Amino acid sequence: MLSIEAGVPGTVRIAGRLDAAQCPTVQAYLDKLAGTVTLDCRELKYISSAGLGVLLKTQKRLMAAGGKLRLTEVSRHLRDIFQYSGFDQIFDIEPAGE
Amino acid sequence: MTDLEPILALAGKLAAPYDLATMLVEVVDAATQVLGAERASVWLYEADSDELVLRVASDIAPVRMAAGAGIVGTCARTRKLINVPDCYADARFDPRVDRKSGYRTRCLLALPLIDHQEALVGVMQVLNKRHGVFDAADEALGGVLAAQCAVALQRTLMMQQVIEGEKLRREMETARVVQMSTLPAAMPQVPGYDLYGTFRPADLTGGDTFDLALTEQGLLIVLGDATGHGIGPALSVTQMHAMLRMALRLGADLELAYRSVNNQLAERLPADRFITAFIGLLDPATHRLRFHSGGQAPILCYRAKRASFEEHKPTTFPLAAMPLERLRAATTLELEPGDVLALISDGIYECADARGEDFGAERVRRLIAERHDAPMSELAAALLQAVQGFAGGAPQADDMTLVLVKREPPGAQRAFRRSVESLAQIFAFTAGTVTDAQLRRTVDLVLEELFTNIVKYGRASDTLVSIDIRRLARGVRVTITDPDAEYFDPQRAPQPDVGAPLERREPGGLGLHLVRELVDALEYRYAREERTGRITFSLGTRDAVH
Repeated sequence: MLSIEAGVPGTVRIAGRLDAAQCPTVQAYLDKLAGTVTLDCRELKYISSAGLGVLLKTQKRLMAAGGKLRLTEVSRHLRDIFQYSGFDQIFDIEPAGE
Repeated sequence: MTDLEPILALAGKLAAPYDLATMLVEVVDAATQVLGAERASVWLYEADSDELVLRVASDIAPVRMAAGAGIVGTCARTRKLINVPDCYADARFDPRVDRKSGYRTRCLLALPLIDHQEALVGVMQVLNKRHGVFDAADEALGGVLAAQCAVALQRTLMMQQVIEGEKLRREMETARVVQMSTLPAAMPQVPGYDLYGTFRPADLTGGDTFDLALTEQGLLIVLGDATGHGIGPALSVTQMHAMLRMALRLGADLELAYRSVNNQLAERLPADRFITAFIGLLDPATHRLRFHSGGQAPILCYRAKRASFEEHKPTTFPLAAMPLERLRAATTLELEPGDVLALISDGIYECADARGEDFGAERVRRLIAERHDAPMSELAAALLQAVQGFAGGAPQADDMTLVLVKREPPGAQRAFRRSVESLAQIFAFTAGTVTDAQLRRTVDLVLEELFTNIVKYGRASDTLVSIDIRRLARGVRVTITDPDAEYFDPQRAPQPDVGAPLERREPGGLGLHLVRELVDALEYRYAREERTGRITFSLGTRDAVH
């Protein structure tokens, strides 16, 4: 299951598993955002390369307009995946306080 | 001056590519004609036995005589022409031959046959000059003739060796083709078992065989090794193979089949030939294996639970050694999850390195202990590779044969529709199969990447993609089977540049990159005829991403 919703202003909370089947929903949601967006990953349990693709596309779009995507509360597991894919160099990543 | 023409005619004849029998007749005819004699004969020299051999006729055993005995023998020893004008006055002459044949030998000329290389080919004996005795002119002419004959005979003998060698080689090749043709073309598919047999023939000789076949009586498991060299062993094991399958097809149980095959082979094979053989029947439902082993050892069984080996002894003497009236009870084993029965021919155990050391049982055991988790095809490949490395380029002296039977550890298999919608079902499946949460998350990620790859880039097909998960001692082995696939090896997919700046980053290729980062081992197999692609990966608990 996956859910994505607005949190405090400028923040989006994503929860559950971001697999290939969930990408269209998430992409559609993120496409509506502008400026600098903080994605709260506290409840994000899983991400695959398809999910990384969604984040990459969003980052490119926001940065072209002077904004960006920040990832916060990123778990150790997700950080490993970001690191393996080199995405740790593309996003500001704030680790979860584990 | 002697008439030259008959000799030249003879030289022409002797240059023809006759077989040995014809050449001998030609030489004898030439000698009698040129020297005006009544009879002639040619004794060929055999260096191995230091004997002279006279071929009388093709269907009569040749006459043999020690070199050195009698006039002919003396001629062979001294390599000098001997002219005896009156045989009965010569002490070296043996009159018994005349008494037997009724022919009276008056005078004779013994001529050594010496070829270009100064090797003794034999002795030509010319009997009874028609008019008078052999004189100095005959001796000179005989010498010329003998030199011609020696070269012609030597050439014929060499040709015969080549022809016989070629014939033997062709017979061997045929026997090997027959031997290979009896091996199972594909491994039988038995749910819950991983079966693999392979045979690597030596260049020249060897008599291994194996069988893995489903019969009414259960899964037939055979490893056989016939003794001896040349064409015999290949034929023997082929016979054994055929008899055994026939006996089982006729409904014989293990004992009757074993005994009947043994007794038939004992009757048919030469007295010095036998076959060491393991013959077993496995019931895949109860996992009980019953076997007889005629001198085939060691019978190794890796026990997964205790991580140790059990070794079983042969139950009887080799097949065909002698008839069997009664058979001791078969040995019974029960295979438990993860256990591996390993039957390995002595071509592997006894494969020697440059210093003469054997590959040995210890190395075999170590490899099995290390690789028992892997598919049996991989374990077999690892063993053969290790043996090859050990031998270090020395030619393979004996056939190498492996039969591996593994009872699969617990696991599960399920098939899924080609759609990203199936991911939820796949994750539900792993949730019920992989208990370790961290390991499961990594399994899910790798599975998703590989599965979505099939969905996105594979053929649009209604066939289901199946996923098989096996639990290993520490980790899992997962196989994804796509029954309608184009060839695509995920290991060879291009590597994305994960260090590139944002503008140049593309999501493509990232999934397979992650897969390669995460898995312990990845294997891709493609069966062209069945259009089936198979990806197998393994993950250990320790490799799980946090």
